[in-house]
Amino acid sequence: MLEVRNLTKIYRLGNVAVNALVDVSFNVPEGHMICITGKSGSGKSTLLHQLGLLDYPTSGQIFFNGQEVTKLPDSVRSRLRLTYLGYIFQEFALLLELTAHENVYLPGMMLGNGKVDYRRRAGELLDLVGLEGRWLHRPKELSGGEQQRVAIARALINQPQVLFADEPCANLDTVSSQMVMETLVKLNAEMNLTIVFVSHEPEDRKYATNWLLLSDGRLVTDSQPSGLGTPP
Amino acid sequence: MRSLRVAFFLAVKSITRGNIGVTLLTIAMLMLANLNILFFPSLVDGIIHSAEERLIDTFSGNIIIEATGDNPIIKKVDELIARIEAIDGVTGVTYRNSMGAELVYEEESTNCVIRGVPPEREKEVFKIADAVFEGSYLEARELDQILLGVQLAGSDRQEIELYSSSLRRVHAGDKISITYTNGVKKQYQVKGVFHTEFIQTDMLAFVTEREFRSVNPLANNRANTIHVKLRNDSEAVRIIGEIAEFRDGLQFQTWEDTAGVIQSMTDSFTIIKGILTMVNLVVAGITVFIVTYIDLVNKRRQIGIERAVGITPGAITMSYVFRAMFYAILAVVTAWLLYIYAVVPLEARYPFHFPFGDVMLFVNQALLIRSALIILGVAIAAALLPVQQTIRIKLLDAIWE
Repeated sequence: MLEVRNLTKIYRLGNVAVNALVDVSFNVPEGHMICITGKSGSGKSTLLHQLGLLDYPTSGQIFFNGQEVTKLPDSVRSRLRLTYLGYIFQEFALLLELTAHENVYLPGMMLGNGKVDYRRRAGELLDLVGLEGRWLHRPKELSGGEQQRVAIARALINQPQVLFADEPCANLDTVSSQMVMETLVKLNAEMNLTIVFVSHEPEDRKYATNWLLLSDGRLVTDSQPSGLGTPP
Repeated sequence: MRSLRVAFFLAVKSITRGNIGVTLLTIAMLMLANLNILFFPSLVDGIIHSAEERLIDTFSGNIIIEATGDNPIIKKVDELIARIEAIDGVTGVTYRNSMGAELVYEEESTNCVIRGVPPEREKEVFKIADAVFEGSYLEARELDQILLGVQLAGSDRQEIELYSSSLRRVHAGDKISITYTNGVKKQYQVKGVFHTEFIQTDMLAFVTEREFRSVNPLANNRANTIHVKLRNDSEAVRIIGEIAEFRDGLQFQTWEDTAGVIQSMTDSFTIIKGILTMVNLVVAGITVFIVTYIDLVNKRRQIGIERAVGITPGAITMSYVFRAMFYAILAVVTAWLLYIYAVVPLEARYPFHFPFGDVMLFVNQALLIRSALIILGVAIAAALLPVQQTIRIKLLDAIWE
């Protein structure tokens, strides 16, 4: 489903070049749940940003369903994100002026698939992530865990083929973290949804079907054909 | 269509749930900018309108008719006036005969041109009768009575412009001596003194046509000038064309031709109005831009999130355009209401005073619509530029900056 070839990302801080990703290659098969792990600053989030089409790599290629998407213009990337990709940010990234329900259905409204009632579907998704009765609350009226579950529901509104989650539990307490991770596992198992998530906790590999270990922007794994390590 | 729907949705939510302080501040700034754009042009238009109205109502009428040739006397005036009065659009016609004279009161003397007029016709064309502040206006059959402008009489008003060359202390009821250029010398009683606040009119003196004929019998059924007053919607050019058909040997002037000083003043005011409107526009644009820009800087992360979840740049831009339009429309309506129901009545109650009289703010539909379109345009431009700037920022920078 996703193929990454020799991906490199170099940031420039003044005259200093920082190699955030160096020659990273791997495949993500459909229906898998991949954990990208590594120490802080190892390039995990940078890699996810490239996969989620939120940023442009310095070099290398990304293929989605066999089609190269690396250098597509922003408007086309917007359309791909809207239609095929879901993204969950570390800090929830909800729109503060909208209710939970509105936050969830906004991308559905934008896609405007007439066959799907996006308002009804947004309600079902909120119920699915355990937010019955919290639809009309605005982000500031929700706990961190609840906000993250709203973000998960929003990422699912357009029935994406791949869901990306950037440290989805970083700002959550243990109970909320477990609830969020179990939700992701459930989505992967029941909906066969391909999920790629980032975590700095090595133990989160237990939720994944496969994992990648990054160190200083380089991939450190067993030499699997897919470039993926096996779960611990 | 979907983009427009999303844009409208985002705009409505942003307005109804956003920072009410920012919303009110933006509307207030736009409203003040609109008031600013309205106020000076309507004051200048008021000055111009007032000066022109004063000129027409006290000095020239809408059309002035004179005879051509070396001896510019219009003959058979009664017949000509009857035909002019029958033209559609004419509301009044009067005629005047003139003769130079020296006026003497005690040790003061001054020179002027005395007009012989039919008082009832004069009232149909001019508003001089309304400007009499001492005594009263002339009656048709009166003899030995004279009506003086304040710049001639003086009337102990030392603040008037030509007081030093006037008769200084003449009031209604006083007797003055007049020597006409044809040698006739007479005593007149001052019937009244008028002050139109239009200096060229206030330098005039009037006697009845009957009195004038007693001084100059040749003036019978003749006139130096005929003055025509038109309905507001009448076209002077058409009516001049019709009068010209009646007889040869006439020449015509419109009130604009006699405007002279007023014309140069109104031309200057029009230029000043244009400059100040442009300055106001730039100030309004910059103000609205700053308010919108600060608001947008605070919304950079929100725009980044909207882009990240797949909202198109077009939809995001349109949402800010809708917001700007909402602010502008609300500001324009508020400014109109405030202007029409507060500023204009207040100014009418305490009017600005100019040398040619009180000036009322002159509000017309074209000015209101033009100012509204300007504010709308400025608001949209002031929203578009920073939004475009924000949308060009790298998506991740917008979210995390």
